[in-house]
Amino acid sequence: MQNLIKLNHVYKAYTQGQLTTPVLQNISLNINTGEFVAITGPSGNGKSTLLNLLTGIDRPCSGEIIINETALQLLKEEELSVWRGLNVGIVFQFFQLLPSLTLLQNIQLPMDFVNKYPKRERLDRAHYLLDRVGLTKQAKQLPGQVSGGQQQRAAIARALANDPALLVADEPTGNLDSATAENIYTLFSALQQEGKTLVIVTHNEDLAKTASRHITLHDGHVSSDQCLSKPV
Amino acid sequence: MHKYHTVLAISSIAIGLFVMGTLLGMMDLQLTYMDKAHQASQPSHISLMLRRDVDFSVAESIKKMDEVNSVDIMTQFTGQFKTTESTPWQTGTLLFRSDYLNQKQDQMRLLAGSFPHDKFVAIERLSAQYAHLSLGDTLEIKTPNGTEILTIAGIIRHPFVKPPSFGGQLHVFIAPELAPTFNIPSASFRQLLVQVKPPYNPGKVNLIAGEIRQKLASQNIPVNVTLLQNPDQHWGRAIFKGIHFILTVMAWASLALSSVLILNTVGALITQQTDQIGIMKSLGARRYSIAKIYLSEVFVLSIIALLIAIPLSAAGAYYSSRWLLDLFNIELSEFVYSPKTIYIMVAGGLIAPILAALQPILQGASLSVRYAISSYGLGADFVSTRFDRWLELKIAACLPTIYAIAIANLLRRKARLLWTQSVLIIAGVLFIVITSLIASLNLTLNNELDRSSYDIRLGFIQDQPQEIINTLVNSFPNTQSIELWNRLPVELSVKDKVIQQVGSLGMQMIALPTNTSMYKPLIVEGRWFDNSDEQQQHLIINADTAALNGIHVGDKINTKLLQHTAQEWEVIGLYRWFAGTGYTVEPVYGPLSTLQTNTKNEFKYSFALLTARLNSLNEEKTYLEALKTVFQEHPIVLDVYTTIAKREQRQFAENQFKPMLGMLLGLAIMIAIVGGIGLSGTLAISVLQRTREIAVLRAIGANSNAIFRLFMLEGLLHGLLAWLISVPTAYLVAAPLAKKLGLTMLNMHLDFVFSQLSVLIWLIVVFILAIFATYLPARNATKIVVRAGLNY
Repeated sequence: MQNLIKLNHVYKAYTQGQLTTPVLQNISLNINTGEFVAITGPSGNGKSTLLNLLTGIDRPCSGEIIINETALQLLKEEELSVWRGLNVGIVFQFFQLLPSLTLLQNIQLPMDFVNKYPKRERLDRAHYLLDRVGLTKQAKQLPGQVSGGQQQRAAIARALANDPALLVADEPTGNLDSATAENIYTLFSALQQEGKTLVIVTHNEDLAKTASRHITLHDGHVSSDQCLSKPV
Repeated sequence: MHKYHTVLAISSIAIGLFVMGTLLGMMDLQLTYMDKAHQASQPSHISLMLRRDVDFSVAESIKKMDEVNSVDIMTQFTGQFKTTESTPWQTGTLLFRSDYLNQKQDQMRLLAGSFPHDKFVAIERLSAQYAHLSLGDTLEIKTPNGTEILTIAGIIRHPFVKPPSFGGQLHVFIAPELAPTFNIPSASFRQLLVQVKPPYNPGKVNLIAGEIRQKLASQNIPVNVTLLQNPDQHWGRAIFKGIHFILTVMAWASLALSSVLILNTVGALITQQTDQIGIMKSLGARRYSIAKIYLSEVFVLSIIALLIAIPLSAAGAYYSSRWLLDLFNIELSEFVYSPKTIYIMVAGGLIAPILAALQPILQGASLSVRYAISSYGLGADFVSTRFDRWLELKIAACLPTIYAIAIANLLRRKARLLWTQSVLIIAGVLFIVITSLIASLNLTLNNELDRSSYDIRLGFIQDQPQEIINTLVNSFPNTQSIELWNRLPVELSVKDKVIQQVGSLGMQMIALPTNTSMYKPLIVEGRWFDNSDEQQQHLIINADTAALNGIHVGDKINTKLLQHTAQEWEVIGLYRWFAGTGYTVEPVYGPLSTLQTNTKNEFKYSFALLTARLNSLNEEKTYLEALKTVFQEHPIVLDVYTTIAKREQRQFAENQFKPMLGMLLGLAIMIAIVGGIGLSGTLAISVLQRTREIAVLRAIGANSNAIFRLFMLEGLLHGLLAWLISVPTAYLVAAPLAKKLGLTMLNMHLDFVFSQLSVLIWLIVVFILAIFATYLPARNATKIVVRAGLNY
C-alpha cells in the first residue's frame, strides 16, 4: 500500500504575547492511499490544527509533512493554493458554499480556479458530481434554497471537483441532524470504496466507527491509533 | 477600531471638509478682498465717458449740482507704443489725471516707483505682468508729430481694467503736462467721475446721472457711456453671482457626499463588530452605552479630520482666491484665511459625521444578543430578498463563475451600493453636464461667429467720413469688402418711463444698412431688416430687455437718440443677445438711412466692417495692427473697445469663460475623487467582510491572481454601472442644466449640444478611477492567509 501522507516529528505551537502553547508535539504518522481516517479527541487537543497542516492551511513549527511526495513546509503560500486546488478537497463544518452561486456553479468554481479540466468538460463534470451526491434536481438552486444536508453534500461534491487524491473534512456532520449525518457517512464510505483517501475530524463516534482507521489525539500527542478495517 | 477603517473614516470626513472649506473660504476671501480693494479706491458712483475733451469749468459746473458731493476727472485715449525697437507697434490705452497726488475717486494706487512726471510714465500692474515690463524699461509712444521715448518710473494699480488675457488693453499712465504732445488740450478731461451725497441709493444715483447727462447735453457734450457703481460692493461681484451660488451648493454637497462615505464606513464597522456588540450586551451594556462608544469614536475621528482639513482648506482657499483676485487686479500678498469658513467647517465637521453615523450606530446598538453573537457560514451576515435570489439565479445561470461572484457581490449590500453609486453617478453627471456646457459654449460662439461675416470691425472714437475710411481700408490688397455703420447712445422709454435694460453700460443704437451682409443677430421673434425698412422708424431690440419690460413685436416705443427729440419707433423684431459676463453696452438695431435722416449726419460713420482674405488668427492680428497704424497716422483714433478682430474676439471670450469652466471641471474631478475614495472604501470594507469567503476560495484552489481579478472585476463593474446610469441621467438633465448654468454663470443663452465625446471620456475616467480605487483593496484581499481568514 502506498503512503499518501507522511508526518515526521511535526511540532506546532501558537504564541500569543510571551505565552507559547504547544498544540501538536512530535507527531509522526503515515496514512496510506485509500484509507478513511477519523481523528477524534477532546476539544483543544490539536485535531483541527492537524487538519490545517495536512491541507497546507497552516505550517508546522518544525518537522515535515509530505503529501503525495510534496513537502508542504517548503511551498510558498501561492504554491500551496495551487497545490491544494489540485490535490486536496476540503469540506467545512458550515459548508461554506458561495451564497450567490448555484450549487452547480459552486462545484464548477474550483475547476475554474485550477484549470485541470478543459472548459468544455467542467459543466458535465459538475453535473456528474451533483448526480453523484444526489442533487441533480437542485443544480440550479442557490445554497440558501436547499437544506443543510444538501448543502453539505454539495460541499462534498465541490471538494471532489478537481478529483483530488485526498479529501479532508472538519466536523462535516457537526451542523446536521442524525438522519442527514447518516447520509454523509454513507457518502464518505462510498468515496473510500472508490479509492479516495479521507481524513475527517469529528466528535461523532458513529462516524468515527465507519472509518477504516481511528486516531485519537490527546494533549497534542497521538494517544491511540486503531485500524478498524482494511483500506480499499 | 480597525486601522484601515480609521484611515478611511478620517479621510472620508477630511476630504469633504477640505472641499467645503476651500470653496467657502475662497468665495469669502474673494468677495471680502474685492470689496476692500473697491472701497479703498474711493469708487465713483457715476462715471461718464465723454465723446470729446472738455475743460475743467464743466467739472466745476457739475460739482455745483445739489446732490453732487464731489467730482474727479481723468482722460483716457487710445495710443500706440512699442516696448522695444524690434517689437511691432501695439494699441493700448494712455491715461492721465490732472493731479496724481490728489486723486479723489477711482484712486489709482502707486505700487512701485513714482507717479508719472515729465517724460517718465507709469505702467498698469496687469499690463506690466502681461508685457513683462518693469521699472526702468522704456516705451516708444507715437504722437501726432512723431514718437516719444518715455521711461517707466512707476507701477500703478487701476481699479477698473479688463485683464489683457481677456482682451483688455495695456494701460500706460502719462504726466498731465504731456497731454499737448498728443494734441489734447491742457486743463481738459474726457472722463467725469461723480460721487453723490450720502446716503448711497442706486435709484437716486440713476436719477442724478440722468440730470448730469442732460446738463452736459445742453452744453453740447455728448456722453458715450455711463457707468454706475455701488461704492460698497466690487463691480466684479455680478460676474461671480451665478458661479458662487453653484459653488456654495457644491460645497455643501461635498460635505453631504463625505457623510455618505461615513455612513458606509460606520455601517461596515458595525457589521464587522456585531460579535463585540453581542458580547458587550451580554455583559449588561445598554443600547445607549453602546451607541455612546461608537459615537465617541466618530467624534474623535471628526476632530482628527478637522485638524487635517482646516489648514489644507485654508491654504486651498488662499491660493485659489489669490489667483481669482489677481484676475481683478487685486494683489493678495500675505496669507489670509476666512474665520467664518473655519467656524462653519468646525460646526459641519462635527455635526455631519455624527448625523451620518447615527443610523448605523443606533441600528447596531439595537441588535439582539442572540443575533449579534451567532455566526454561521458564508452569507449569513446579509439578508436576501426574493428579488435578490431571482437576480442571482439569472446572473449565475448565464455567466462564468468568477463573473457571477463579482456581480452578485456588487448587488449584495444594496444600501452601500446605492451610496457608492450615488457619488460616482453625481460625479459622472456633473462631468458630462460641464463638458456639454463647454461644447455648447463653443457651439454658441461658433454660431455667433457664423452670423458675423466680417473679419475686422473698426470703431472710431469720432465718426469719420466715408471717403477717408474707404481710401485707407482699400489701400490693403487683402481687403475684399467694406460696410459702414453708425452708432448713437439711445434711451428707450414706454409711457414716459425709461425702460429697464440688461446691458450694464446703457444702450446704443447700431444703425446698419437694411441689406447688411456683415451681421445678422439671432432673431427669436419678429423679423430682421429688409429693404422695406428703409427710412422707417423700426427697431430690433434685445429679447431679454423686451421681456423685462413687457415689450412685444409691433409695440411702439419712445426712442431718444442722444440730444435729439424723442420719437416713436416700432419694434419689428427681438434678437438674442450674447452679452457674456463683462460690462457691455446693449445694442438696439435700427436702419442706417433712418438714423442718418433723423440726425442729419449722412456722410460720417462710427464703424467700418471689413471682409478680407485672412486664414488664421495671426494673419488677422497682423492685418488689424497694420490697419490701426494707417488710421493712427492720419490721425484717426480707433476705439479700443469696439475695434475687434473676429477670431481674436472669440479667443478673448473663451479666455473669459475659462476660469469658471475650469473651476467647474475641477469640482467634477474633486467629486470623482470623492467617488473613487468611496469606491475604494466600499471595496476595502467588502474585503474585510468577506475575509472568510476569500479564505474559502483560497482553500478550494484560488490563487492570488484569481482573488485579485475577482475584486478588480467588482470595482470595474461598479464603475460600469455608475457609467451606465450617469449617461442617460446626464442626457436628461444636461440640456436644462447647461442652459441654466449658461444663464447663471455666463449670462448667455446657450445653443445646446450634448457632448458625446464626454460620454466616452467619462467611461475611460471611471475605469481608471475604479482601477486606482480597487487596486489596494484587491491587493489586500490577496494577502489574506487561509487559516486566519477561516477563523475571522
